[in-house]
Amino acid sequence: MADTEARTRPRIGSHLFLMLLLAAFLFPVAWALLSAFKPADEIIRSPLTFDPTQFTFDNYTAMFQDVPIGQGFLNTAVVLLFKGAATMFLAPLAAFAFAKYQWIGKNLVFGAVLITLMLPTIVLIIPLLLEMKELGWVNTYQALILPGAVDAFAIFWMRQVISAVPDELLDAARVDGCGEFAIFWRVVVPVIRPGLAGLGVLTVMNIYNDFVWPVVAASTERMATLQVVLSTLAQNITGNRIGADYATVTGELLAASSVALIPLLVLFILLQRHFINGILAGSVKG
Amino acid sequence: MTAAVATAPATRRAPRAGRGPRMRRRLAPYVFVLPFVAVFVAFSVYPLFFTARLSFTDWRGTGAATWVGWDNYTYLLTNPAFWSSLGNSAVLWLLIVPVQMVLGVLVAVLLNNAKLRLRGLYRVAFIVPFVTPLVAVAQIWVVLFDQRYGAVNAFLGLFGLPDTGWLTTSAWAKPTLALLFLWKTTGFIVIILLSGLQSINASIYEAADLDGASKTRQLWSITVPLLRRTLGFAVVLQTLAVFQMFAEPFVVTQGGPYNSTTTAGYYLYNHITRADLGTGAANSFLLVVLVMALSLLFVRLLRAKD
Repeated sequence: MADTEARTRPRIGSHLFLMLLLAAFLFPVAWALLSAFKPADEIIRSPLTFDPTQFTFDNYTAMFQDVPIGQGFLNTAVVLLFKGAATMFLAPLAAFAFAKYQWIGKNLVFGAVLITLMLPTIVLIIPLLLEMKELGWVNTYQALILPGAVDAFAIFWMRQVISAVPDELLDAARVDGCGEFAIFWRVVVPVIRPGLAGLGVLTVMNIYNDFVWPVVAASTERMATLQVVLSTLAQNITGNRIGADYATVTGELLAASSVALIPLLVLFILLQRHFINGILAGSVKG
Repeated sequence: MTAAVATAPATRRAPRAGRGPRMRRRLAPYVFVLPFVAVFVAFSVYPLFFTARLSFTDWRGTGAATWVGWDNYTYLLTNPAFWSSLGNSAVLWLLIVPVQMVLGVLVAVLLNNAKLRLRGLYRVAFIVPFVTPLVAVAQIWVVLFDQRYGAVNAFLGLFGLPDTGWLTTSAWAKPTLALLFLWKTTGFIVIILLSGLQSINASIYEAADLDGASKTRQLWSITVPLLRRTLGFAVVLQTLAVFQMFAEPFVVTQGGPYNSTTTAGYYLYNHITRADLGTGAANSFLLVVLVMALSLLFVRLLRAKD
């Protein structure tokens, strides 16, 4: 087979390689989703088989009884709603000021934004925790929502996006008597909608999957977000059911993990293009 | 003038209409950035300065803090546990980053071919792990790699291989954790490399084809050199991520067995749980310096080849 041929159609070896990798990438999630419907002892007795006649919801019913996963979902939803809304509204608004106006201190503030982008997030964990203690916010929604409510990365990215909006568009709106906020809301926002969509999915993904800060700042059962609930799952199950055996725990663990996976998987499949754009843009974050 | 005085609302409105738009245009940016700046100063700038001060004290979260100078730093730098946490992260880096870059380039090059069948499917499937919540996946990992009941040992058993304690032996815990990290983030690296590949001019390959250069040769002599900037970017990103790695050992191994998976990030967390906040703050800064130095080094190395 000549090389030019290979360029037009990948060889069978390439397909084999990609297929194997595909299987490896999808296996853990697929296995968990399927195994959660197996009787608990079957999961550990024969982890590689799936017998449709033994299909069962037992792991799910047991899990919903033993694990405060509903509370976890609720807490995550509250954080998503408020923190997400804050990021989606305030970040583009501030970015608009950075991209299209001259003001005193602009470069200083933007420089600070760039520096925080380069810092590892764990650096701030200790002082933030102390700050929460001082404010009396440990184990509250405020602690989960406010720090990072206006993500520095979102500002950085939205500034790039808004810079590309032509100034003539803004000036035309001014001539028509538009106020400055109206220019943002009626001219800028509609134009940058694709960028906003990318920011939206990235924000949802980050907040939904966030774990380090929530586990440090709000780990009580009442305040635990979904990810925090999940992380303490194994201990919770054995704690609630003295003498719970490994099979039961495993079954419930897989059911809970599936429940946590599914919303994001569905969202991803529906909005994959925006997801990939968002992730790509997000990679600048570092 | 008299009319303006007579109707108070009109007076207030009149000057606004006169110099209003320009004035408002000058004031608007301050109003727009205010909410962000408030949150930013309160929850990023202030804590950062606070950490800096904290790292020179022996504060344990309550009572008075005593200024201890560089003690926390010297304590860490002379503490074998600190160095072993860095060592663990370095080993994880070696297990992860080179493998990931090779795999990433191979997959990205294959996916960059517009004629590839199922291209869309591959692209979506490879990014699925990156989107899934880490904690959920880490729990699945614990079950999959269980020594007695896990699917991995069951599968290997089909080939007559003995059961391995993937998460319970110091020798295997790191590779198993590295595999989780690889699985979770390689799709993301593929996407980054794909975006880099798309900026390479296709005519270079056509010329190479005419010159009779083999595919492997083209990969080494064209793709990799031209992808250097993107690769460098990816390496820096993953270096940051590996040295900060915390959630993976937290959920999967709790730093064990025998501290073999106590990464730099996890070690830092240990100070918090022991309320040893001064040491923790000093550790944060040492980690920042290390991570920044490593990032600069990679950027330098990749530039030096120009």
